[in-house]
Amino acid sequence: MANPHDDPAALKALQDDIYRERVLRARGLTVEQRLADAFEITNFVFEHMLEGAMWQRGITDRAEGWREVRRRLDRLDRVHDSGRFTLTKESADES
Amino acid sequence: MKVEELAVAVIEACEAEGVEHMLTGAFATSAYGIPRSTKDVDVVLNVEGKDSVVAVSRRLEPLVTFDPQVQFDTLTWGKRLVGVAKEPPPLKVELFELFDDAFVRVQFERRRRMVSSQLNRTTWLPTPEDVIVQKLRWGRVKDLEDARDVLAVQGPESLDMDYIERWCETHGTGQRLREALAGIPPLD
Repeated sequence: MANPHDDPAALKALQDDIYRERVLRARGLTVEQRLADAFEITNFVFEHMLEGAMWQRGITDRAEGWREVRRRLDRLDRVHDSGRFTLTKESADES
Repeated sequence: MKVEELAVAVIEACEAEGVEHMLTGAFATSAYGIPRSTKDVDVVLNVEGKDSVVAVSRRLEPLVTFDPQVQFDTLTWGKRLVGVAKEPPPLKVELFELFDDAFVRVQFERRRRMVSSQLNRTTWLPTPEDVIVQKLRWGRVKDLEDARDVLAVQGPESLDMDYIERWCETHGTGQRLREALAGIPPLD
């Protein structure tokens, strides 16, 4: 079987297929069902972040694992929100 | 604590303080687009009194530790108060004050009532059109993906595209809208 990564057109077709499937699935849900899915996915992802952090750090203490997850999320926020928020209007005007 | 439990706590705090609210961020995007995970509960508050946001945050104190400093976004100068859940997972709560921006005001006025059995509450969401306009205005990578997803799931034929285009023209985000539409593959 050919590797789609070797063929940009095949890779784009694969990406479109995956996206199409996600869109059509979402279209089959009600607003409430989509919201419920978001809750479920969020809770699932947090548990996996915890497991990943504990595994990577070689720890068994969940509290320590959650602290590591928090540290990682804080780093992500600093990347995503860089330049987007400031403590005073004045400080942004000066920058 | 599950994310929906935190969302309920925020809604209850708003209700207790008599503050009108609207869920925004990933919840609004997921409601109209492709459901995705989030790390925060984002809520817009219609602040009548000066201390309403502080009052809501105080109601949440048993569950959430808030940063005492209010932040301003550098795009619209809206204020937000950020807190982190005391109990794992470290979900954030972001309380945004409704402020004097033409689009933000209209978006809040057009919000839709929603009865959620999951939350066991009545809550409020922006319209899908307003989610798209807002996401295109913010313009971060994830915002643009969210806008495209809502456009794809709702379908331009079922959206008020004239309304979206008018606001995009006002915000100078027409090109972002065209790119989001072009990024949707044929769905048939």
